Amino acid sequence: MKQLIAFTKKEFTEGYRTGKFLILIIVFVVFGIMNPAVAKLTPWMMNLLSDTLKEAGMTVANIEVNAMTSWEQFVKNLPMGMIVFMIMFGGIMTAEYQKGTLINILTKGLSRWKVVAAKSILTVSFWTLCYWMCFFITYIYNEYFWDNKIVSNLFLSAFCLYLFGIWLISLIIFASSFMNSNSSVLLFTGGTFFVVYLCSLVPSISEYLPTRLLSSNEMLQGAINGSDMIISILITMLITITAFAFSVVIFNKKQI
Amino acid sequence: MDMLSLSHVSKSFGTKKVIDDLSFNVSEHKIYGFIGQNGSGKTTTMKMILGLFSADKGEITVNGEMVKYGQNKTNRFIGYLPDVPEFYGYMTPMEYLTLCGNITGMDLSRVKNAAGELLELVGLDKENKRILGFSRGMKQRLGIAQALLNSPKLLICDEPTSALDPIGRKEILDILLSVKDKTTVIFSTHVLSDVERICDEIGLLNNGKLALHGTKEEIRAMRKSDGFEVELSRPEDVDILAEKLLGGQRLGRTQIFYQGKSEEEMMKSMRILLENNLKIQRIEMREPTLETLFMEVVGK
Repeated sequence: MKQLIAFTKKEFTEGYRTGKFLILIIVFVVFGIMNPAVAKLTPWMMNLLSDTLKEAGMTVANIEVNAMTSWEQFVKNLPMGMIVFMIMFGGIMTAEYQKGTLINILTKGLSRWKVVAAKSILTVSFWTLCYWMCFFITYIYNEYFWDNKIVSNLFLSAFCLYLFGIWLISLIIFASSFMNSNSSVLLFTGGTFFVVYLCSLVPSISEYLPTRLLSSNEMLQGAINGSDMIISILITMLITITAFAFSVVIFNKKQI
Repeated sequence: MDMLSLSHVSKSFGTKKVIDDLSFNVSEHKIYGFIGQNGSGKTTTMKMILGLFSADKGEITVNGEMVKYGQNKTNRFIGYLPDVPEFYGYMTPMEYLTLCGNITGMDLSRVKNAAGELLELVGLDKENKRILGFSRGMKQRLGIAQALLNSPKLLICDEPTSALDPIGRKEILDILLSVKDKTTVIFSTHVLSDVERICDEIGLLNNGKLALHGTKEEIRAMRKSDGFEVELSRPEDVDILAEKLLGGQRLGRTQIFYQGKSEEEMMKSMRILLENNLKIQRIEMREPTLETLFMEVVGK
């Protein structure tokens, strides 16, 4: 336990001192503020453009914005934040292989599973922090400007997106257990997402895939409800846990 | 007692056999010099001892316990200094040693004491800045400090002096000599003078096999004289000597070297010098070095 705490502490120190945390917090705070801000500014921008649009033959009707507009922005912007996050953490293991910093630590007798565990703990907890910070910033603004109650399944859809992020993290850790470079890990993660996305185009299986968790808009509009999501949530959790477990098994045999 | 023993260890990378049926033992409180060219398999052998690489065949034991690949419990006896030690640049030396101490399971007060002492031993006790700005020599010294932190029974150093200037090299060798009473040291190198200075036993690795193995004295006894060298004042005198005593090799305008010649032949050359009234500047037997032996064994 002492080893695990010491190594996890090292991971947090690293995130803090290398500025990774600061950058990600700024990015997610900015996203959090941008969602309601863009929604709030849309009518004003449209007004501003209306003269130009009129000349082009378009008339601008009164645009109504509400909490839904802001949450739609959230759903649209979040993948961007997710990508930034994955790029920042894509090298969490491979950077250590390439620099050779793990050799000292492992020859000091640190059990290998603790390396995987500490890195997973760091990434998941930081994702949790960034994600929910972004969510609650948007939530508070929306509550202030409009009313969050008009959207359905708000916390369910938020949870689904959050879980999707954890799934991607598990892929990064899994890929890092047998790959040696940052770019191949990211390529693997992106590639897996792409394949799953392609599979989800087949209607009969799309319900069972992690990509189903991305149907936030349908959830917010009430077209899909919690009971429709249970299978994909469970399957994603299962894949995630399996990926973490396999990372430990493979990393134990890795030549470092 | 043998601190380390390798028996019939083999390792291949793909089709290339790096280590071929390697066996040797190192007993306690010895400094063992592990010599070999670049790429001869020194680092591979060390990484197998550390359980970082798997051995295809054979057994390795450290302090009587078998080494296992992956989860290597015998690492608790070992301190390891990699050829290019890498640290977390955002930490200070003290923070780094504290991390290492916590990982080896030392309690905090012991870590602080040991880390303080070791930083003093390697001369980094005044350095409070982050490791990022450290020179190669400083990193090498910090590497020794981290390797010695848990008072290991076996200290493995992979080419600790290769990249250092003469002062840095001397410092590292002095540190290794000073810890000899407490620990057994294996140290790989291709710098032969370092081996001559501090090692008790020597093993020479060539083509994945131990081409030579023994104490420094045994190996020195095996080496025969290397020949002798004569330096004369005038170049034309050298021509005369070369004519009278065949088998010489001109080294410069006034120098000639007789390779592999015995002392009697040197006496003969002195008679020739005297008889022909040739002016001598210098005449000496060449001290046989590990280097010549190394060359002989490696076949170059």
